[in-house]
Amino acid sequence: MIALTALTELTVSRHNPLVDPHLHIWEWQIPVYLFFGGMVAGLMIIAGVRLIALRPQQREALVCCTIGPLIGLFFLSLGMFTLFLDLSHKLYVWRLYTTFQITSPMSWGSWILLLVYPALVANALAHLPEAIPALAKRFPILVTVSDFILARVQWVVGIGVANVMVGIALGIYTGILLGALGARPLWNSAVLGPLFLFSGLSTATALLHGILVITTPDEERPAFADFLLSALAQLTQARPLDKNVGPVLARADNSFLTIELALLGLFLLGHMTSTGIHQQAASLLLTGSYGAVFWVFVIGLGIVLPLVLQSLELQNRIRHTIAPVILVVFGGIALRFILVYAGQESHWFQALN
Amino acid sequence: MSAPFYKFGLFGDEASFIIAFVIGIGFGFFLERAGFGSGRKLAAQFYFRDLSVLKVMFTAIITAMTGVYLLSRLGMMDLSLVYLVPTFLVPQIVGGLLLGVGFVIGGYCPGTSCVSAVTGRIDGMVYLVGMIAGLLGFAEVYPYVQNYAHMTPMGQITLAKLFNLPYGLLVFAVVLMALGAFMAAEWAEKKVGGKEPDPKGSFIARPWRLTPVRILAMGLAAAGFVALVAGDPYRGSHATIDTKDLAIRAGSGADSIQVGQLADWIIQGRNDFKLVDLRSGTDFAAYHIPTAENVPLASLTPDFAAHNEKIILCSEDGTQAAKAWFLLEAQGFKSVYLLDGGLRSWQDMILFPKKSDKTDEAVFDRQMQVAKFFGGTPQAEGTSAPASVAVALPQVAPPAQPAVSEPAAAKVQPKKKKEGC
Repeated sequence: MIALTALTELTVSRHNPLVDPHLHIWEWQIPVYLFFGGMVAGLMIIAGVRLIALRPQQREALVCCTIGPLIGLFFLSLGMFTLFLDLSHKLYVWRLYTTFQITSPMSWGSWILLLVYPALVANALAHLPEAIPALAKRFPILVTVSDFILARVQWVVGIGVANVMVGIALGIYTGILLGALGARPLWNSAVLGPLFLFSGLSTATALLHGILVITTPDEERPAFADFLLSALAQLTQARPLDKNVGPVLARADNSFLTIELALLGLFLLGHMTSTGIHQQAASLLLTGSYGAVFWVFVIGLGIVLPLVLQSLELQNRIRHTIAPVILVVFGGIALRFILVYAGQESHWFQALN
Repeated sequence: MSAPFYKFGLFGDEASFIIAFVIGIGFGFFLERAGFGSGRKLAAQFYFRDLSVLKVMFTAIITAMTGVYLLSRLGMMDLSLVYLVPTFLVPQIVGGLLLGVGFVIGGYCPGTSCVSAVTGRIDGMVYLVGMIAGLLGFAEVYPYVQNYAHMTPMGQITLAKLFNLPYGLLVFAVVLMALGAFMAAEWAEKKVGGKEPDPKGSFIARPWRLTPVRILAMGLAAAGFVALVAGDPYRGSHATIDTKDLAIRAGSGADSIQVGQLADWIIQGRNDFKLVDLRSGTDFAAYHIPTAENVPLASLTPDFAAHNEKIILCSEDGTQAAKAWFLLEAQGFKSVYLLDGGLRSWQDMILFPKKSDKTDEAVFDRQMQVAKFFGGTPQAEGTSAPASVAVALPQVAPPAQPAVSEPAAAKVQPKKKKEGC
């Protein structure tokens, strides 16, 4: 009888602590990490593709192949730091590298992250001296390294391929990390992998585009704004900026945003045609408590508005500005935050309600 | 489907945020396209050089006004549910002057400063920061100026009510005023600013061709004229509410509903009001007006209904209802009405209407039909009211839907006849 009462309480009222798992355990650290991870993946892929596809003379490598990887290194470190903050047992982080579990996304992630650093560093080193001559003057070894890499085509191609491969792996892994968790119906979709990859690509492209826009000299800009940007302007005095890269980046960003929109549609379609629990999970985003923020910040401000603005830029109807850049970057952050938070709110018990 | 959609529960908070987002983007886009992201253009109106702001804002006002008016008149919108900001005359005049001074100094008003800031103008960004700082500052000092901010309260007042003018006349007058202002603005722009009017967007420039702007003006004038003759857009009587106003209102009786009117509404199947029966549960079970809800006086907490919902209170003779009326008014309910005469009046005039010599035949016919609908019996002249009213009352409340009510009324009718004999 007592057992029956206990069973009733466990299964029906579930008032006992720890019977239901504590469902909201990921806070801001994880979405921030996912955002930086995705963006770094995008930066790696862009840098890698430009390294492979273009001859050194055509490369106009400054923004994409040097600044991109350098910023990537910084953002990856920031992301890793937030991931570290999230760990309960911070001192045991090295144990991740004592094993490789093929079925564990976390294990895959920790090893991929370890490969990202050398790939990014190699990519940045290839064009560093021509990008930042001041630095090369102070450290002549940078010139030696750069010459050594650029003299060997297979090295250049190898670095490019490595960047693209690791970048794709990193981008997809950030989605699979959520998607592999069956306990959260909202996350339980393999589409999250490519979704985060393309979202990362779009934020990375937007970021590079933004850097281009900011560093382009502009008479209309007030003097003190240029003064604030002087640090970046110093870097760019070395050589003329990759002017024709701007439209390419805007066009690429539009493609990535369109694909991201389609993948979001597929993601929600998959849920809506699945079980009631998955439908309920998707409705958290579509009409539920995350409906407004999802439609406004992810779809409206994060995808549709920058698509319109960048299309107008490409048609030369408005100037290239950082407005779409800011929107895309914040849209990327919003996507991760909303998916991580809404995902933790979706669970299998809700079907009972 | 009737507007305001949100208040009729057509969508919830989440959807309303999304709609607000779309409207906001549209608003910002058109402000920007009109050139209102530029402080120079905005400030030019104070020197009468460029009065586009006046034209755009006045166009918006009269478009919204005629639109709201016509929609209400066509029954597609309930104007009494549209929120009106309460008027506090003196503090609002002072606030308006402060806003104007800020506008002249900074070159922006709140909406345009946002447009200017997001289009990358530094002065717009500075203005926006200043505005937010001002908001925070006001919030901090609010406790000290609270009494002042609530001076000269006038409640939710409209010009039509203030001047006791027909609503439609006011609509027409404002439209005419706007069109006059447009012409005066063009004249001033030409005289002071030396700006030659663009024939495409002008009222007064020759040639006298039918340009889109003139067609629009004629359309608005026509809508205003329709308003002049079409009458009041409010559904039924509507009163503004304010605590100081309460005593006057209580004495005037303007907020009571006649039993005949209520009967008509129920027959029409209207559901835009909440009929609250305040009697005891046993009395309610014995008889109640169809669609009524039984709510004891003590349960009239502030959350028992939406504050903008139309509430009609009824009790045996009206005393309980009057108590409840004050209670709800004090709790901030916006439209509370008393059923005039209470259930007693309902019995006398709806269920058992009497025929006297003075009663017109047609009127009595109608009263008979109404009585039948509610399961009552008309009384011939001279017959006294049934001795035991409780027994005479219909036992079953007929449903509100007219289609269903016919058999229900028929079913209870024989019993009534028996009582009458």
